[in-house]
Amino acid sequence: MSYMKTTLLGCTMLALSGAAWAQDDTTVIGVSIPAATHGWAGGMNFHAQETIERLEETYPQLDFVLAAASDAGAQVNDIEDMVATRGIDALVVLPFESDPLTPPIQSVAEAGTWVTVVDRGLSVEGVEDLYVAGDNPGFGRVSGEYMVEKMPDGGDIVVLRGIPTTIDNERVDGFESAIEGSGINIIDMEHGNWNRDDSFNVMQDFLQKHDQIDAVWASDDDMAVGVLAAIEAAGREDIQFVLGGAGMKEMVKRVMDGDEMIPADVTYPPSMIATAIEMTAVGMVSNAPVSGTFTIGSVLITPENAEQFYYPDSPF
Amino acid sequence: MTAEQVLCLRDVRKSFGPVEVLHGVNLDLRAGEVLALIGENGAGKSTTMKILAGYQPATSGRILLEGEEVTFGSLHDGEEAGIVMIHQEFNLAEQLTVEQNIFLGRELRRGPFLDKRKMRELTRGYLDRVNCRVDPDTKVSALSNSDKQMVEIAKALSRDARVLIMDEPTAVLTGSETEVLFDQVRRMTAQGTAVLFTSHKLGEVAEIADHVTVLRDGSVVHDDRASEITEDGMATAMVGRDVSDLYPAKVGRPGEVMLSVRGLTVPGHARNVGFELRQGEILGVAGLIGAGRTEAFEGLCGLRPASAERIEIAGREVTIKKPRDALDHGLCYLTEDRKLRGLLLDKTMRVNLTLQALDRFGGWMIDRAAEDRALDKAIDEFDIRAGRRTMAVGNLSGGNQQKLLLAKIMQSEPAILIADEPTRGIDIGTKQQIYAFLRDLAAKGHAVVVISSEMQEVIGLADRVLVMRTGEVAGTLTGDELTEDAIVRLAVGLGANDKEKVA
Amino acid sequence: MTAETTNTRARRSLPSMSVLGPIVALVVLVAIGAMMNSNFLGAANITNVLARSAFIGIIAVGMTFVITAGGLDLSVGSMAAFIAGLMILVMNAALPSMGVGVPIILLGMLVAVVAGILAGLLNGFLITTVGIEAFIVTLGTMGIYRSLVTWLADGGTLSLDFGLRTFYRPVYFEGILGISWPIIVFAIVVIVGELLMSRARFGRHCAAIGSNEAVAHYSNVDVNRTRLLTYAMLGLLVGVATIMYVPRLGSASASTGLLWELEAIAAVIIGGTVLKGGFGRVWGTVIGVLILSLIDNILNLTDLVSPYLNGAIQGVIIILAVILQREAKAKG
Repeated sequence: MSYMKTTLLGCTMLALSGAAWAQDDTTVIGVSIPAATHGWAGGMNFHAQETIERLEETYPQLDFVLAAASDAGAQVNDIEDMVATRGIDALVVLPFESDPLTPPIQSVAEAGTWVTVVDRGLSVEGVEDLYVAGDNPGFGRVSGEYMVEKMPDGGDIVVLRGIPTTIDNERVDGFESAIEGSGINIIDMEHGNWNRDDSFNVMQDFLQKHDQIDAVWASDDDMAVGVLAAIEAAGREDIQFVLGGAGMKEMVKRVMDGDEMIPADVTYPPSMIATAIEMTAVGMVSNAPVSGTFTIGSVLITPENAEQFYYPDSPF
Repeated sequence: MTAEQVLCLRDVRKSFGPVEVLHGVNLDLRAGEVLALIGENGAGKSTTMKILAGYQPATSGRILLEGEEVTFGSLHDGEEAGIVMIHQEFNLAEQLTVEQNIFLGRELRRGPFLDKRKMRELTRGYLDRVNCRVDPDTKVSALSNSDKQMVEIAKALSRDARVLIMDEPTAVLTGSETEVLFDQVRRMTAQGTAVLFTSHKLGEVAEIADHVTVLRDGSVVHDDRASEITEDGMATAMVGRDVSDLYPAKVGRPGEVMLSVRGLTVPGHARNVGFELRQGEILGVAGLIGAGRTEAFEGLCGLRPASAERIEIAGREVTIKKPRDALDHGLCYLTEDRKLRGLLLDKTMRVNLTLQALDRFGGWMIDRAAEDRALDKAIDEFDIRAGRRTMAVGNLSGGNQQKLLLAKIMQSEPAILIADEPTRGIDIGTKQQIYAFLRDLAAKGHAVVVISSEMQEVIGLADRVLVMRTGEVAGTLTGDELTEDAIVRLAVGLGANDKEKVA
Repeated sequence: MTAETTNTRARRSLPSMSVLGPIVALVVLVAIGAMMNSNFLGAANITNVLARSAFIGIIAVGMTFVITAGGLDLSVGSMAAFIAGLMILVMNAALPSMGVGVPIILLGMLVAVVAGILAGLLNGFLITTVGIEAFIVTLGTMGIYRSLVTWLADGGTLSLDFGLRTFYRPVYFEGILGISWPIIVFAIVVIVGELLMSRARFGRHCAAIGSNEAVAHYSNVDVNRTRLLTYAMLGLLVGVATIMYVPRLGSASASTGLLWELEAIAAVIIGGTVLKGGFGRVWGTVIGVLILSLIDNILNLTDLVSPYLNGAIQGVIIILAVILQREAKAKG
């Protein structure tokens, strides 16, 4: 190719898409996340897209590749494609599951690519450069502590769990140890799969099975929606409150409005993906040290502080 | 000549539930001989053959293989003993090639791989022996019925059968194909193979069989050398009554033109077919297999895409685009394939009987009582014999299925009936009943078309015969012109009278 | 003849296992449930189980026709989610102009029914007229509707306006004479479906097509039209199920109706309909649906097994229910 042509081509590309294609001075960041199959993931997808748009404006030298996968296998394919066809310089990944994703991410890291892992840790330590972690045991602990505080004399509660995974186990373990010895009894526990319909059915059956339930730890705001509908339909007055989790905007709104059934919520912010992308971007364009582990703690939302957790524009 | 007995049945009985279908059958297959096992449908031929081949165990009695008593636990045991059975419904895997079928289950190998070259060569050889010119790599699904039959026979050849059992092998074959088959049978018997075959075509039986065993209602009623019995004798033994007057007298006096067809074309099958059909008349349609007879009439009845210059029914022009149109004009087609196109084999007689004319039995809701009444009437009128009314139609004998199919078609009271191979694969007693019915229908003022590959049937039954060749009408024969010779000449493309060209 | 007559009589006194199988399974489940928990047979629990069976049940009745006619529809679950999303969007959009009231609810219902019929017709058209395998067509539309609803909801949840929801709520939770609407609608659909299947021409034609398409064609049955109708009917029933579903939680998301198609198909097969077509019975499908919801209900009401094993229990019971019928076939 002649010198003339190269220049021309370069100029055209530059004009078309900012700095996107000029490999030399552009940094490509791959973002691989699970698809929006439930509320929390939907919020996470929203935050990812929004952050990428914002960062592309701010840093013209950065180019992002976003892929949402419907299962772990598809996510592995996405990552392989990013490496092979886009030559990414950094990878931000929220793994579907830890075990199946560890080897492919490991090989990306070994090739010298910056790796940021979000939410779920990998099975092998020390692979990633940056770990933006959600605090699942903390999520359970904060929830448990709130329950204890709210019911100082103890009481009988039922628990709805998510999809059987490590995340769910860590949360429930954290919750159980927090309420230990407080007089609060878990009289029943079933999987509601982080799904409104499933939690509705489970709660209906709990209401049939138990004549007295003092409170419900729904452990997730989507499940709390189903639980509330079931309680309302049964017309039961014995349940004092339902504690969800994750910080869905409708639930935060109810906390803000002082709804008695939803006195509080516990964050597990889907915006942690935004934090991770942002930190990675900063690490790519500057010399600021961003490696290490960055834990995003779970915070209790109460009517007092609800305002600052309310994002009316987010789908979640 | 009494050859060595290879396979014998001694006092074999077989019951299905409480019903005994074979009452002490004795049968001898001798090396180097052809045994014809004949009988009406439902007489127990198929059961007998299945017991011989090891498909079904006998309830009591003994099976002797070269004088020693054996019990076949499975079909495999039968094949191990050198007994091969060819079914009436083919036992070929449609999606595999001819070669793959012939070597199915005993593929030749060279090392870990299939020895394709060898298998193809051998297949070619077997096919040559039966004069079948299909490519060993053709998929079976692409073959015609007669080619499939030949492949079945080639498969049997490849197994070096000591005993070959064939269930109506000639039902789907043309005359010349039958000859090829018989040549092979003769060659196999000359090498000492024992052959058992069944056929409803008694002429063939007389031609090929060395020994004839006749079954009637599960018992052997005749068992003797073939030379000791005439065709009439066989028919009488099978039916239990004299059937010499197989065809009803042609008393009809054709009336008005009921159906007039001009320029009927079925893409790929028939071109420019035209004919007239009169009230009170039976029009025979003859031709070789593949001449486009079935397709032309299916096209006429809206069952497959077709076009016509002009179709008139009772003097009025009509257009027929779908089966409903044909039925509305009183035109009804009885399919040649009762098992695949005619009857729902897993449904009861009642459901089958009324399927085509369901709108005559109630409105949106079906009037079951009316259906039952119709079934009573049909059973009576068509002499359908079934154990239970609720049994699946697939369990009826072929003859009774055919009678039910006819009854089903008649539910819509057609003015014009097109019967395609109305007696294929059924016994002579039932044939006689169906012929009588068709003639009676014509005599009542309906018009009837009978498509048939059996020359005797067309000549015996029809007032007039239309012969088709390669999708076109080759000619029409009436009165004294109606001879087998004349039909064959038209069917193969020789003029009816220019015999010079033959030589 | 004597033997045959006795045979008939013996049959009449005891229906075959293919009929008894699903009923026996249901009775056993009910007995187990009653033993395990005293509330099980209470009116409230029965209402709960029946009402939540209604969605899958209404869809499964339609599925019975599709399968009987030799078809299959994998798209019903995501179709339901899509219709629910569409309904919510339309109702929310119409709220400012129409206000809360009966008309806006009727508008929502109309949207659901029309969208259902159209979606069904699309499946049917591609399968019959274009001639693509039902499995492929509905697998395709399954993905299409699922991602459409995700897109409509921006990956999150579409929620019905709160005021509207309060007004619409009784359609799921209330009814006449203490019987809630979903149960009433389910019952009506079942009765009409059963009549249509066993007594009407349409059902007979479906069975004929599923049993042997060629025979049906040669018997003057309009094969394509009948098939198309089965899919359109299934679409309509998905719409009806959605009308019952939306008032319950007032929301739709990407996870709405997840795996409903498999549950509906499983219910149809447990009920004795033949998967490859040719024979179907609507009452059997109802029993199949009830068996499936009762398993969940009983497992929730008792602490018999680890919740991790719920799926396994369900799988075992589904297979057992079908084996019960098969054995009967071999004997009969």
